[in-house]
Amino acid sequence: MTALVQIQLTVNGTSHEAHVEPRTTLADFLRSQLALTGTHLGCEHGVCGICTILVDGRAVRSCLMLAVQADGSEIMTVEGLGGADGKLHPIQEAFIEEHGLQCGFCTPGFLIAIYELLKDNPSPDDAEILDVLGGQICRCTGYQSILRAVHSAAAKLGAAGA
Amino acid sequence: MTVEIPKSIEELPTSEARWVGKRTRRKEDAALLTGRTRFIEDLVLPGMLHCAILRSPFPHARIAKLDTSEASAQAGVVAVVTGEDALRWSQPAASAPEGWGTHCIASELVRFVGEPVAAVAATSRYVAEDALERIIVDYEPLEAVGDPFAAMEAESPLVIAEKGTNVMMQRLFTWGEVDQAFADAAHVFTEKFRWNRLGANPTETFGAVCEWDPMNLELTVHGSIQAPSFFALGRAATFGLPSNKVNVKSQAHGGSFGGKGGTRGTDIACMLSRKAGGRPVKWIEDRMEYLTSGGSQAWDRHYEVSLAVAGDGQVTGLRVKLVDDQGATGEGYAAISAAKPLAAFTGPYTIPVAEYDLTLVATNKLPAFPYRGFGPPPHFFVLEQMMDIAARSLEIDPAEFRRRNFIQPDQFPFTIPSGNEYDSGNYEEVLDQALSLAGYQELRREQAEAREAGRIVGIGVASAVEPGVFDWNAYRSVGVPGIGVPEGATVSIDILGMITVRVGFSLEGQGQYTLASQLVADYFGTDIDAVRVVQLDTQSAPPSFGPGGSRLGVAITGAVLGACERIREKMCAVTAVLMQTEPDQIKLRDGKFGIPGVPEASMTVAEVAGTMLARSDLLPPGVDPRPEATHVWTAAGRTEPDEQGRAKSYLTAAQAVHVVMVEIDRDTGFVEILKYCLADDCGTRLNPMVVQGQTEGSVAQGIGAALFEEYVYDADAQPLTATFMDYLIPTINEIPPTEKAEVVTPSPFTPLGAKGCGEGAIHTTPAAVMCAVNDALAPLGTMAREVPAAPNRVWNLIRATQS
Repeated sequence: MTALVQIQLTVNGTSHEAHVEPRTTLADFLRSQLALTGTHLGCEHGVCGICTILVDGRAVRSCLMLAVQADGSEIMTVEGLGGADGKLHPIQEAFIEEHGLQCGFCTPGFLIAIYELLKDNPSPDDAEILDVLGGQICRCTGYQSILRAVHSAAAKLGAAGA
Repeated sequence: MTVEIPKSIEELPTSEARWVGKRTRRKEDAALLTGRTRFIEDLVLPGMLHCAILRSPFPHARIAKLDTSEASAQAGVVAVVTGEDALRWSQPAASAPEGWGTHCIASELVRFVGEPVAAVAATSRYVAEDALERIIVDYEPLEAVGDPFAAMEAESPLVIAEKGTNVMMQRLFTWGEVDQAFADAAHVFTEKFRWNRLGANPTETFGAVCEWDPMNLELTVHGSIQAPSFFALGRAATFGLPSNKVNVKSQAHGGSFGGKGGTRGTDIACMLSRKAGGRPVKWIEDRMEYLTSGGSQAWDRHYEVSLAVAGDGQVTGLRVKLVDDQGATGEGYAAISAAKPLAAFTGPYTIPVAEYDLTLVATNKLPAFPYRGFGPPPHFFVLEQMMDIAARSLEIDPAEFRRRNFIQPDQFPFTIPSGNEYDSGNYEEVLDQALSLAGYQELRREQAEAREAGRIVGIGVASAVEPGVFDWNAYRSVGVPGIGVPEGATVSIDILGMITVRVGFSLEGQGQYTLASQLVADYFGTDIDAVRVVQLDTQSAPPSFGPGGSRLGVAITGAVLGACERIREKMCAVTAVLMQTEPDQIKLRDGKFGIPGVPEASMTVAEVAGTMLARSDLLPPGVDPRPEATHVWTAAGRTEPDEQGRAKSYLTAAQAVHVVMVEIDRDTGFVEILKYCLADDCGTRLNPMVVQGQTEGSVAQGIGAALFEEYVYDADAQPLTATFMDYLIPTINEIPPTEKAEVVTPSPFTPLGAKGCGEGAIHTTPAAVMCAVNDALAPLGTMAREVPAAPNRVWNLIRATQS
């Protein structure tokens, strides 16, 4: 057992201080120490994108980052997107309406990647969506319903912002 | 009591169905979208330990020395198990064919890369993996065999020496006068094909939390398990436990597609729990374990196929010779994938006679498991290539060639040579819809222009049948017993009229809890949100198999509607007493029990339920006061297989036609899909949104199969595809949009006329894409006989034509 390192980070708006082993991945830290189990692990080698979260506003694969590297950062996971107050985020609503999920295991990673995309680019075209979502694997949907959901979410967010 | 289950949506006791047959949003989704659904990796029990498994790096070796003492002494390690424990505490895995299973941990020999040799339970996964590095194993490598033809040679090393052979099963099925048909045929076409290993790869790997109760000798397993009751029986057999001492609770899980696997890891975690005095032990398979050592691999096939064709283009006979590489053991029941084509051997065609020469061979590769569609997708790939070879030779358009051979609507129910009966269909209509959607003639003109311009462009038109509602009798020929697959549901109405459905399977992605709610809401005239669905474990649930073999949508519809019918009968009896009439005078309609034509005689479902539970003084004597019923549905009319394996097995036959246009890059061999259209007929669509999702998802898996996915082994049976960098799952960039048309020919044999459709397009997509690839390559004088048609293969084919 190596010595624990103290870190401080903000997750979904809540500040946390914790002691972690240097080797603990950020994903494992969020899941086991903060009990934020909405972030799922699909491959643990950085290909499938299922563990995607936002660190300081940018999408990262939380399986490839160590918790100690997140010291001082601001993190958003799927738990911070919507639902805590019983209300869903428009991206989540669009996923329901367009049947953008089946088993739902890869979905948190998609939601976060799409959240980042729409934050930067409120009305992306197909090519821009494919460019971003090419880093996310889904085995159930065949992606077409996810593509429809992104367009629908963009329209919802646009209407809400207008 | 006989229960009549409505055969169409119109027969439901409602003026107009609000949910069944409609695009109904899934009640599963909100929890999944907010990260609140608990998957197995999220489950934490008091005192829980974490398991890590040490695996063989050799495909075949003798274990000369195994020393776990240093690992056992490591801080945080609570238990270590080895092959000795497996020999002491467990039986070899159940298998198909029978007798080809081994223990969950190797003790003397390892037979494939990734076979467990020891395992550790520790306070965290990190600590458990540390301990694996302290286990010393000396291996003496032995000659391995990774090729099924080599494995059949007399001098081949034996995978399981006691068997005396690597041939697990050899069987010739003959259906009709096949020799005569081929002797009489105007044309006979023969070709060889290779379908390489691929597999399920759900985004969540397998996981389990196992608890061994040392006092009561009971076992509890929580896990990401596709078929909990079948899994429970397997564990009881492995540990010699009475079946009522094993309780399995499946968690919501991240897909299965038949290839969830997990039996070895579960058994190892169970033994670790036993050694740790009953503390729960969690085992989560990681992706590299899944890819090299899990339920990940299926369909490793070598085909030789012959088609007999008359001068007018009628196909008069089909011969299929299959050598199927099962890997090291039969523990994955992959043999059933080789047997399943019997359920749809001749596809959508009236081919009158057929022969299946089937050989299952053991090699030192990972034991094969099922995958979506089980066996027919490769079978239809070869059948459809043969149809195109014949059509091309006879200079008949491939769409027209198929039309001439389709089973006609008035021929249903239609018994195919291999014995199964197709329920209904309108194959020409499906073909016409697909061709019209694609603008087939215009597409052919575009192709001609593209060829003029020197491009390599092809169009595939393929059709396949999806056997739906699997039955065990389909697998009798590979040693699996049983006829019928019961599925039960309990529907309960409480004192305030709120309705709960209890089922024996967990969430997997196909929207079955929503379907159960749709059915109950329309049956009793409630809002869908008022219906709750609860999952029971295997010791509490009615008989249940769960999802698999495109069956659960039909089966759970039968179970839920059967339970509703039983409740209706009870409620009619109670209402009749209250309304002073006979039960047969009482009708349920739009959520009210009453006497037709007497408007004042009306009680809501809630009022009747409340009366039953709170006004015993009003009830007729001897009445069962529970507004609750269980119904266990099983397909009627299934038969015992004859000596040639012929039986009425799968209850339904959905059908599809896909039209695909591809372009091949001459310089790279990359296949790009330019257009994808499909029409299909799966009877009544209970939730069209979910059916569409299943179709789109299975098209994507079919494209992966045709073009990208392959488990590669070197000549010594060493796996080379251990990560998602090597095993290529299609991303959104590889999957084109699909245009879709629907034909609805209800099944006459099922609840509401629905047909099994969960496995869906994977039956047709690989065939259609490969037909398009070969249509593109035909003018070059070459043909792709191997799946996937990856760039290296296609590039080599093109280059060979230029030399």
